[in-house]
Formats: sequence, structure tokens, C-alpha cells
Amino acid sequence: MSNIFGKFTHYNTIIHKCDPRIKIFGLILIMVICFLPYGNNYMNQLLILAVLGLFIFLTMIIAKINFLDLFKSLKMIWFMAIFLLIINVFIPYGNNEHPMIIFSNGYTLYWEGLLNTFMVLFRLILMIALTMILTSTTSPMDITYGFEWFMMPLKLIKFPTQVVAMTMSLALRFIPTLLEEANRIMKAQKSRGVDYQHGFLMKKLKSITTLIIPLLISCFSISDDLSLAMEARGYDPYSKRSRYRILKFSHYDLIVIIVLLLIVSFFIFIAVISNHYGINIIETLFPLTKGVTF
Amino acid sequence: MNEALRLEHIYFGYEEDLDTLIDVSFSVKKGDYVTLIGHNGSGKSTLAKIISFLLNPNSGKIFINEEEINSNDENKLKNIRKIIGIVFQNPDNQFIGSTVEDDIAFGLENRNTDVKKMKELVYEYAKKVNMDKFLNKEPSELSGGQKQRVAIAGILALNLKIIIFDEATSMLDPEGVEDIKRLIFEMREKDPTLTFISITHDIEEAYLSDYCIVLNKGKILKEGKPFEVFQNEELISSTGLDIPFVLKVKNALKDNGIEISENIKTIDELGEYICKLK
Repeated sequence: MSNIFGKFTHYNTIIHKCDPRIKIFGLILIMVICFLPYGNNYMNQLLILAVLGLFIFLTMIIAKINFLDLFKSLKMIWFMAIFLLIINVFIPYGNNEHPMIIFSNGYTLYWEGLLNTFMVLFRLILMIALTMILTSTTSPMDITYGFEWFMMPLKLIKFPTQVVAMTMSLALRFIPTLLEEANRIMKAQKSRGVDYQHGFLMKKLKSITTLIIPLLISCFSISDDLSLAMEARGYDPYSKRSRYRILKFSHYDLIVIIVLLLIVSFFIFIAVISNHYGINIIETLFPLTKGVTF
Repeated sequence: MNEALRLEHIYFGYEEDLDTLIDVSFSVKKGDYVTLIGHNGSGKSTLAKIISFLLNPNSGKIFINEEEINSNDENKLKNIRKIIGIVFQNPDNQFIGSTVEDDIAFGLENRNTDVKKMKELVYEYAKKVNMDKFLNKEPSELSGGQKQRVAIAGILALNLKIIIFDEATSMLDPEGVEDIKRLIFEMREKDPTLTFISITHDIEEAYLSDYCIVLNKGKILKEGKPFEVFQNEELISSTGLDIPFVLKVKNALKDNGIEISENIKTIDELGEYICKLK
């Protein structure tokens, strides 16, 4: 978790103090907003997403999240970026009007493909930033409690929500332990001459097996020990358990939920007027841009 | 009812043809501090898991408070969890909560303890193991010894009657070991019926216990008062174990005609005694 989306750090900010259920709810709402259609004009879409991005980055500043961590986690989407670029640029679809390169056989690459890729990537970055806000400002246990609260209706159909929540919390709890274990195994194997960095794909794959197999064995051993420790402390998934942490709404939460709802309503309004009434926000705000088709 | 635990003819093997424990029988009195010693692979940890009902023996009987416990009886097992607790050697793999306080609270949550009471107990036991300033810390921010203190606090907070330490203090520094020993001493003073079973490689600890059991290749080699157990130096050495330093000195003095009482168990007591001889 710490290396993927941002490690939880204790700070006394309004975002940290906010109830995890509101943060999860907000995360889902804003993710939906990220993917709402904002008309066909790329400039229009870009402006709206930039405003949303600004809001997300402001939240990151308030929550004292290190921007470096965000850039580090963006490493993961390189592969996806290339894949999307190939899909969007080389397999054109929809209304493509602006040719970028025309090959001698008539095959054409369009600017629209490139812009589509950029838009999707921008949305992905916003999603990663949003997830980072949640994981950096909420303890894994609180995230679990939050999700468990949302799963409450499933109890009506006797779905074991408490088991799912415990599984989630253990998974979150053991990610750093397993990363540490993987690191330890890698160092041990390196000291025995295994090279993880050099060589071609096959060689690298072979050397990875020297990490994967001991790591799997270690995982089984850890889970075995953990289940014994849980049993020894009287854990029974189907018994009634009390809660050490009880989620409570506070006045901070009220402020956050009002701000959140205002923002969500604003973006839904923009999406509606852009799509149904064909109003171009950028042209309305900046009349000089009329006629710019991108 | 003076018996906390009794094992009768326990046999256990992880595989059919592998005997890890062979005909193990012993009993533990209420309020005793019992040590189980033996070389690596002698079956100590397996025995600890059987005593705490985490493993079922292939055959044999286990009595808690003179009542036979059938490991298939779920209701009885639930009650047993309110009597017996175990702290394992590896602190990483028994840290269940995401922070120190969550981990200490885990067992209390399972007991459906009231939240207010739970908060008090979490703080009280975290303070007892000197972890009260780390309540919000995650396991990755703690040392091995600190994690072990948390595991110990998590078990002690449950107010159990029989506590098993499976080499639980092996990761602690000498000061940490002393803190835990002091805590155990305080708890036993407060509740004289509290029984401790410690699986250890620390011969000095075994010498200070009320009762000592030596395991060798899955069988009980010798049991009794530590003074009697360690008297047979040859037998103890044959299992790869050492003789406590105090006993070595006492035996050397005895060879020179100075008889020292068996009540003298620590190096401080011995030093004081020798000084008085002058």
C-alpha cells in the first residue's frame, strides 16, 4: 500500500479528521465526475478536468500529501499510457477530422486519437491522486470500517460483511510486511549471486522465480502463524464482536459533505449543459475562442 | 481444585510416521511458573500449541481445572480461550491490528468488551509494557522487541488464567526481558492463581521457575523442581543444554566443602551468601 498509493501519515488536517465513510463516498463520487462526458470539444473537456484537477491538488495540499509520492506512483501507468496510445492513435474511431500523419497507402493517424489518450491519462492521474488522498489520510483500519459500513445492507442477505472486512484489513496490514519480506529475500538471493537487474527477459524471468517461490512459502508460513495467533486471541468470525474504533460524524464531516455536494452538483450541471444543451463553457467564458474546434 | 492443567499420554505427529510428541504426561499447579526446556526440535512449541488447543493431539487427554476438554466441543473451546492464551516467538506474524492500540484491542473486541472498558485496558496494558507512547504507531514503525511487547500486552489484557510464552521474550533486549519478568511477578502477586508456562532456551529463567520440564526428542526426559532437574548434570548436558551458572558455582563450592542452600537461586543471592561466609 505504502509504495502504491501513499502511506497513511498522521496529520491534524480537516481531511485526516474527516469520517472515512465520507472520504470513500467522496472518492467514488469524484471518480464518477472524472469520467462524465463534458461535450465533444476537447478544450472544453480539458478546462473542466483542469478545474477538477485543481480542486484535487488543493485537497492534496490541505492534506499535506507529498507530491513526489504521486509522481512516483505514476510510474505504474506508463505501460497503460503506451497501450492506450496504440489503441487510440492506430485504431481510429468516432469523428476524426484533424489528420496528423497520412501514410502513402492512405492510412491516416488523427490528432483526436492523441487527445483521447491524453484525456484518459489525465483522468487516470486524477483517480490515482484521489486514491492517494484516501489512503494517505485514512488508516487501513478506518478504510476497512468505512467499507464495512457501506456493505451493511448486504447483511440482510446474510452476506458475511465482517469476514470480508477482516480479510481486507489483514490484506492492508500485511502489504508492508510482505514487501519487507520480498526485499529481504531479494537481498539474500542477491548475496548468493542472483542478478535481478541485468540480462534479457528470459533471464530476468528465471531470476524472478528465485524471489517468487520463497515469497510464496513465506506467505503461507505467515498466514499459518497469523491464523493461530487470531485463534489464540479468541477470534471467531461469526461471533458478536465489539469495536475499539467507533466511527462518528462530527461538524468537520458536515462541512466536508456540503463542500463535496456543491462541487459534485457543479460538475454534474456542467456535464448536463455541455451535453444536452450544447453549451460550450470555454466559448461562453472566453468569447474570443469561438471557432477553435479542438 | 489446585490443578490448572493436566496432560495424560499425549501423542502427536505432523505426519503419520513422524512422532513429534510421545506419551507426554504432566500436570501444572495453579499459580506455578513452569518452564519447558529442550533443544531445537524437541517438541516444545508443538506442546505449547496442544496445550492452548491450537493443535489436536493424535491421542491423549487434556484437563483444564480438572475438567477434560474435548477439542471438538466448540462451546468448551470458546470458554477455554477465556482461560488460556499464548504469545508466539515471531512478533511480526501475530501483529493483527494496524496500530499498537488496535492490536492490543483485538482480543478484547473478540470478547465483546465494552468500548470504554476496552480503551482503559488498552492504555493500562500498553503502559505496563512501556508502549503507551506508541499507541498510534504501525507495526512497520516498531522494532521487533516493541512488537513483541505489544503481543504480550494483547494477551495480558485478556485477564487469562494460564498464559503460555513460546520463547516470547527471545526478541527482547535484556532490559525488555527484565521489564516483562517484573510485570509477570506483579501479575502473579496480584493474582496468585495465575499460571505461566514459559517455553525457553534461557536456562537461568528455568532455574528460577517453580517447576521445570525437560523435553528431548518428543519425550519428557526429566521434570520436577529446577534444583532437582539440574542436579543430574550429565543427563542435562546429553540433551545439548547447559547448567545454570549459579548452580555451576554452587556445585564448585560444594566440591570444596561449602554447602549452599537450594533456596539460593540468583547470582545476587549467591554473592550475598558468599560475602557472609567471610
